[in-house]
Amino acid sequence: MNETLLERIDEKPAPPARRPVWSRIAAATGPATGAIAGIVILTVILAVTQPVFLTWGNITNLVGANSVTLVLALGATFVLLAGGLDLSLVAASAATGMVFGLMLQSGADALPAIAVTLLAGLVFGLLNGVLTSYARIPFLVVTLGTASLFASIALLLNDGKTINVFDFPGFAFVNDFVLGQAFGIPFILMFDIVLIVITAVVLRYTKFGRGIYAVGSNAEAARLNGINVRLTTMLVYVIVGFTAALASLVQVGRLAGAAPTFDATLLLTVIAAVLIGGTAYTGGEGGVGGTVLGVLFLGIIQNGLTLTSVSSFWRGAVNGIVLILAVALGVARQYGWLRFGRKGR
Amino acid sequence: MTTPQPALIRVENLVKRFPGVVALDDVTLEIHAGEVLALTGENGSGKSTLSKIVGGLYQPDGGRILVDGVERRLANPHAALEHGIVLISQELTLAPTLTVAENVLLGRLPRRGGAIDWPETRRRAAEVLAELGVHIDVERRVDSLSVELQQEVEIARAISTRARLLILDEATSSLSEGATLRLLDIVAGLSARGVAVLMITHRMPEIYASCSRAVVLRDGALAGEAPLPSTAEHELVRMMVGRELLDYYGSRVAAPAEVVLEVDRLHTADGALKPVGFQVRAGEVLGVAGLVGSGKAELAMALGGAIPARGEVRVAGRPLRLGSPRRAIAAGVGYVPDDRRREALLPPRSVAENISLAWLDTITRFGFVRVGAERRDVSQVVTDYGVKTSSLDKRITLLSGGNQQKAILGRTFARGCPVYVLNEPTRGVDVGSKSAIYGYIQRLAEKGAAIVLISSELPELIGLSDRVAVFHHGGIRAVVAGADLTEEVLGSYAVSGTRPDEHPSAVISTGAIEPNDTPTSAVSGAGRTR
Repeated sequence: MNETLLERIDEKPAPPARRPVWSRIAAATGPATGAIAGIVILTVILAVTQPVFLTWGNITNLVGANSVTLVLALGATFVLLAGGLDLSLVAASAATGMVFGLMLQSGADALPAIAVTLLAGLVFGLLNGVLTSYARIPFLVVTLGTASLFASIALLLNDGKTINVFDFPGFAFVNDFVLGQAFGIPFILMFDIVLIVITAVVLRYTKFGRGIYAVGSNAEAARLNGINVRLTTMLVYVIVGFTAALASLVQVGRLAGAAPTFDATLLLTVIAAVLIGGTAYTGGEGGVGGTVLGVLFLGIIQNGLTLTSVSSFWRGAVNGIVLILAVALGVARQYGWLRFGRKGR
Repeated sequence: MTTPQPALIRVENLVKRFPGVVALDDVTLEIHAGEVLALTGENGSGKSTLSKIVGGLYQPDGGRILVDGVERRLANPHAALEHGIVLISQELTLAPTLTVAENVLLGRLPRRGGAIDWPETRRRAAEVLAELGVHIDVERRVDSLSVELQQEVEIARAISTRARLLILDEATSSLSEGATLRLLDIVAGLSARGVAVLMITHRMPEIYASCSRAVVLRDGALAGEAPLPSTAEHELVRMMVGRELLDYYGSRVAAPAEVVLEVDRLHTADGALKPVGFQVRAGEVLGVAGLVGSGKAELAMALGGAIPARGEVRVAGRPLRLGSPRRAIAAGVGYVPDDRRREALLPPRSVAENISLAWLDTITRFGFVRVGAERRDVSQVVTDYGVKTSSLDKRITLLSGGNQQKAILGRTFARGCPVYVLNEPTRGVDVGSKSAIYGYIQRLAEKGAAIVLISSELPELIGLSDRVAVFHHGGIRAVVAGADLTEEVLGSYAVSGTRPDEHPSAVISTGAIEPNDTPTSAVSGAGRTR
């Protein structure tokens, strides 16, 4: 009895526990902890083992190769934050790419061709948006259906054939933009940065952005506080459609051609990048910063596999494992493996 | 001190630490067979931690647990079960797609020749349920049952394992009044059969109705122990809060002025709310009482625009178009829903974003949120309404229930509406926060708001309201004011639709209600502690 008492007294002044370093880092980096850790570790490994990795050439290559993914992922971030998902975004991008190709083929100037392409993206997004928000059809059903529809449209537009756009007069501008640079900085990198800043500002500092977070966190609470939930939801899909069209411009610019089919793993890569960046698939949590990190992480993995001459067949396996680990880390955070210590109520 | 019979369960000098906090600090208590013991205290006082240790979910950092006088280690819930200890918490652990019978005997289904003996399963499950006085078809799937029936199935399962100690952790928090009463009956029956029950709750009526003793925790330590019902309520509250709550409901001096809210033939298409009419003056609190399903919740939601409704509602003379929260807000109705988690909180977002959500429009210019103004206004709400948080950027779900509720009420009150509709504003909130919230409601009325207060807690209605409209079967059965404002009268109207002393046929007319005509009425609950 006396012993236990003494023991207790000795232990008692439980100091306001200095939290361990890893716990504080986890708290400071938020839900993107996994992506940041992955980027740091990979960068160190690759920088040491592959001298070419940190060269400017390789870095610009990395940026160029991942711009399409980034643009699509920025759009997908909006829809995931609002608690939805768009399975049609890559198919929509292929279809708008074909629209762009046909416009160029018809001899249109760059700007009208771009405008029509973006408009097509907006229309595709509007279709998804109206069906999910106003017709109240579940988003998985809607976007699964439109994914199939858009893929078909992409094939129908030019009878399933790729359009080689290199020689068309309107293409020069796009080509110069996608491949050009100023003061050694690629235009595409500037474009990426501008887009990142715009999306980040919209999400963080506009009423619309706050509405997206509110709808994704708790649609009923948002509605009762005067947020127009249906309009917000609809606009989110319109944004995805717009970014799909933007991505298709970049893609056509890089390939000098518009292809009616697309890399089947791209959709998974895009959504994985957003989730790895810490955006919750349940909505309401995360943001553009995380998405950029997620895209960068998957891009570095891909770059690393290429530099080390590992078969690209491994890419899917690595992406999948990384996705699960990153989200598992997020779940662990939420259930308090890293930050436990809430008093029992 | 020697007792002839060792206690069923005795915990000694229990200590539980989480990083940065001492959740339990040297707690000793005993539970005897057949005893119904209340374990009470404010949110965060450690009552759930203690129950989880006894239930085998947590391991203590110090101290020991004795079962029948023998020290035992309860390494997991299964080990606790072997000693007859069953913990029932708010989150039910039934298998939703299985039948009632399967759930009651889950893991112990009777077998014959290797196969499950279904007739025997049904018979035994029915037997256990009958013992509890619960009548459910044992063939029904559990997910087709209401929450209260599900809870009764869970209790039946506990009993079928021959539980000796049943721990009910806030078990009544999701139940209607009727189901709560039935649960308390079940508890009494169990106690009579020698089963000990540890009730973790801060609901005073339940503590007084069921328990023979109360143990109060405060900040993880034992704050006191009291025999019941001989200990007065305010004494228990004092132990919980650590100070005297003299002025529990607060008071206001208000001169109800012009009529601000006029309601005429307000009803819902499905008949859950039958046409009702009433008026509320500026500075007046109209209480709304009634059982679950009486239409009081529909009234609140209809006024807040949360559900479609018909009829006429005027706010400050201007007609309100029903059925849209946005129009209700624009017209000046501040609505606070009853289900904080489902209808009010943005769980993943910060305290600041949760608060500014209620008035994003006013801090937005050209579509952009003015962050400086937002921080300033949010800080003001946090200060004015005593929201305890270490940072405005903290996730709102990390705050206690009371502080979450203060934030939710504060954000709505800060809108400065002429009319407020508060649906169960103190649900799931501890005693100290409740008293603070009562104070805010009094100030709001004093500043001239017309308030409709919907509550299932009669003392709260009596302490705050000028008049109370009692709902029964979808309509207003009576409007009670002055000396009639007692729990007995309100309860009687709510349950049977009649006055306690009245023959069922002699019922007050249910016509439109005129506001209180007295020019000045000072409503005060001063000195009235629950």
